[in-house]
Amino acid sequence: MPDLILLHAERAWWLLTLPLVLWLVIPPRPRRVEATAHLPQWEAALQGLRRRRPRAFSLQLLLLLLAAACAVLALLGLGVAGQVGPQRLVVLLDGSQSMAAHSAFERARERVVTTLADLPAEVDVRVLRCGGPMLRRHGESARRLHDLGAPAGSRHVDLAALAGEVAGDPTADVTAHDGVVVWTLTDGQGVGTLPTVGALTTFGAAASNAAVLGVTVTDRWPLPGLELAIDVIGHGAGAELAVEVAARGAVVAPWSVTRRIPVGEVVRFECELERTVPGGELLVEVALAQDALPTDDRWRLQLPPLPAPRIAVLAAAESGPFVVAAAAALATEVRGQVVAPAVEEPVGLLLVDGGEVAIEPGTVRALCFGARFGGPGAGGAAEPAVARAAAGVEWDRQQPFLAGLDLSELRVERWNAETLPTGPGVEPFLFAGEEPLAVVHRGQGTRGAEDGSASVHFAFRLADSNLPLLAAFPQLLRRLFVRSYGAAARIRVDSTPPPAGEQDLWLRATAPDRPLPEFGTPDRPLGAWLLGGGAVALLVRILCRRRDRAVVGQA
Amino acid sequence: MNAATPKSSMGARPIRGGRERVKPVVPPPVAAPFPPEFRRLLRELLARAPRAHGERVERLPRRRAALGQSGTFAGHRPYVRGDDPRRIDWAAYARSGELFVMQLEEEERRVATILLDLSPRLVVGTPSRRVAALRLAAVIGGLALRHLDGLTVVAPGGGTNAVSAFAGVADVERLLVQLEQLPWAEVAPPTAVQTLLQSGPLGRLHWISDFVAPRAVERNLAALRRRGGRVVGWLPALPDDVEPPARGYLTLQDPATGKRVVVTVDDALRSAMRRELAVLRRAQERVFAQSGSTFVRWPVPAADDHRRPDYEEVLRQCRT
Repeated sequence: MPDLILLHAERAWWLLTLPLVLWLVIPPRPRRVEATAHLPQWEAALQGLRRRRPRAFSLQLLLLLLAAACAVLALLGLGVAGQVGPQRLVVLLDGSQSMAAHSAFERARERVVTTLADLPAEVDVRVLRCGGPMLRRHGESARRLHDLGAPAGSRHVDLAALAGEVAGDPTADVTAHDGVVVWTLTDGQGVGTLPTVGALTTFGAAASNAAVLGVTVTDRWPLPGLELAIDVIGHGAGAELAVEVAARGAVVAPWSVTRRIPVGEVVRFECELERTVPGGELLVEVALAQDALPTDDRWRLQLPPLPAPRIAVLAAAESGPFVVAAAAALATEVRGQVVAPAVEEPVGLLLVDGGEVAIEPGTVRALCFGARFGGPGAGGAAEPAVARAAAGVEWDRQQPFLAGLDLSELRVERWNAETLPTGPGVEPFLFAGEEPLAVVHRGQGTRGAEDGSASVHFAFRLADSNLPLLAAFPQLLRRLFVRSYGAAARIRVDSTPPPAGEQDLWLRATAPDRPLPEFGTPDRPLGAWLLGGGAVALLVRILCRRRDRAVVGQA
Repeated sequence: MNAATPKSSMGARPIRGGRERVKPVVPPPVAAPFPPEFRRLLRELLARAPRAHGERVERLPRRRAALGQSGTFAGHRPYVRGDDPRRIDWAAYARSGELFVMQLEEEERRVATILLDLSPRLVVGTPSRRVAALRLAAVIGGLALRHLDGLTVVAPGGGTNAVSAFAGVADVERLLVQLEQLPWAEVAPPTAVQTLLQSGPLGRLHWISDFVAPRAVERNLAALRRRGGRVVGWLPALPDDVEPPARGYLTLQDPATGKRVVVTVDDALRSAMRRELAVLRRAQERVFAQSGSTFVRWPVPAADDHRRPDYEEVLRQCRT
């Protein structure tokens, strides 16, 4: 027998309406009382007409009272008392990378789904994925564990502290209606202490694992040469592990090596590779027998295609031979070719020395030396409007393409600052005092935004400086070539180092599992049932009245 | 029954909603059933009335008849409690194994007996059937005392006055007093007839009642017939015996039993009630006719109507 309660006991005065209804419904007492000697004849007449004597407590009255009682009880909020217990559940699901071992994450998901399916629907469920991206799910989405992803990343939160914070006062009575139950599902990997509050379910077991901690790439782009330094670590039961490290993919010849490495120590593997011209994915992986955690075994690098640039040269008549020689030297180094400039024939790099060129800075890969350009911001004079010598030249040593270059011997005899583009996207890297001598214009157009290409502008012609004579000039020229390609020349690394603490599956905190407590159920009002019962009672009463009228009609 | 009886006079309080509470009603005593006007009429009736007929039940002098229990053997009847053991026919007992009492044809004596119903059911009517019955008994008794040798008034349930004997015109006043003092009492017809049979010689029996239970009357008439009595049934007839009350929502109560019925009187119910009353009237007449007795439905005159024509039927019946 369930416990019945009144959810709105303050409305109990509505019960007074029941006697009122009773008083109103009972047939009134006749005002005339007559003595008769023929009462048997009256009864026989009534019986002949099949009339019933009005009764104070007839079935119709009882049905009406029942309907009224149902309505009043519904108003009072009659309901079944719920079970005392917590009504909120917060699931802390460890989604760190180590949960991929032994399919712990999938088993945890299955356990959560199974358990939540058996929970009362009134229990408020929230799921927090701890590890990797912090994901929160609430309500039905939480019960279905909607879109929680795969185990990856490190655990950025302390499960024990988070569980204690969510549960509030650890000493609080979780059996109360407003109690919060924390359910932690983890493999204990990389956890100093497991939560001491709430329920706990642990997964996983100690197992061997090898991981690629990092890959260092020395890129010789636009040359095909590639140097890799692969840091590998292994964890297992013994002192050493036999691992195989391999690199394959967009390289001319795959590379692999098998070696026994000490457990728990980072070992670097180095190799030189030659990548293919089209580029592509380079996969670096380590293989270990009975590796329980394969997600940290490989790194993926996206190699850009090798350039085969067509280098065009535009030189003014008064320009010296420096730009042509520079173009030839650059073409040799990047395995390109020098072509004659032609309209509507795309080139990979444009070398301009003096004169005027109709380009928009930042939209084409170009190296301009004292050249005026058309388009927005153009306006350079045919001859240098400012002709002066720059004795002391400074350069931005933070620029990657200037790293290690010595430009201290650079002398510029004539230069014109108006040949440099201005506006957003312009990065000066060479200065004469406070005035820029050269800038990199990062593309703001559609093409520049796509691949990060840029044009480099010098405020002086090669003939007006000793830059071609410097030893750093060929290197600067090649680096500026790479810089003009921008992101299209860079290797993209798609992998991240495995989180610390997620590699050694032998270091895991353990604790006995703690089951979930019995959850409470809210008070269940019976208003709908009561109103339905009252309606049925009224319907039956109407049917009774119609039947009585039919009987009288027959009589 | 046209006029409603005051609630206070009906005893039990009606129950709201119609369920009756079964409790007999004891009506108040009838106040002055014999007003001076009626007494003058009675004297006139007795002075000018033709000779009333009684049964010759005694041939010997009155004193001897009063003391003797002898006479010509007329037959047997089963012994009932209260019969004189000396009248048991032991020879018949030896033959049949059952007790029989010898009925003797007594010496001629002209007497009359009035069996008066004291049931509270007679409270109905205006004037009530009880008043009409008392006045009817007074007229019949007065005629008997005026012209016959004796009168016995049997009022079952009347206590010490249940059986009273009167003789001579001089007892008329005593008869009226005795009738006035009779209480209300509900006695079943078998008991009433038993009391009557134990009262002695019946002569002509005038049974004044409402006869609402013809079946019970039928059995008792047969018993009286076996005793050789000649019965005249008097029913003070009220308009309600023919016509039910007008339409309305009212509570009907049987004063004898206290039983109540709440009815809504409409045309259909009135028609049905008329049929039931007609059935009752036919049953009353049939019962008396089958027993060879006379049944007189005497219309009750108005309360203040004390004229001779109202009692012509009484005079005629007493003359035959």
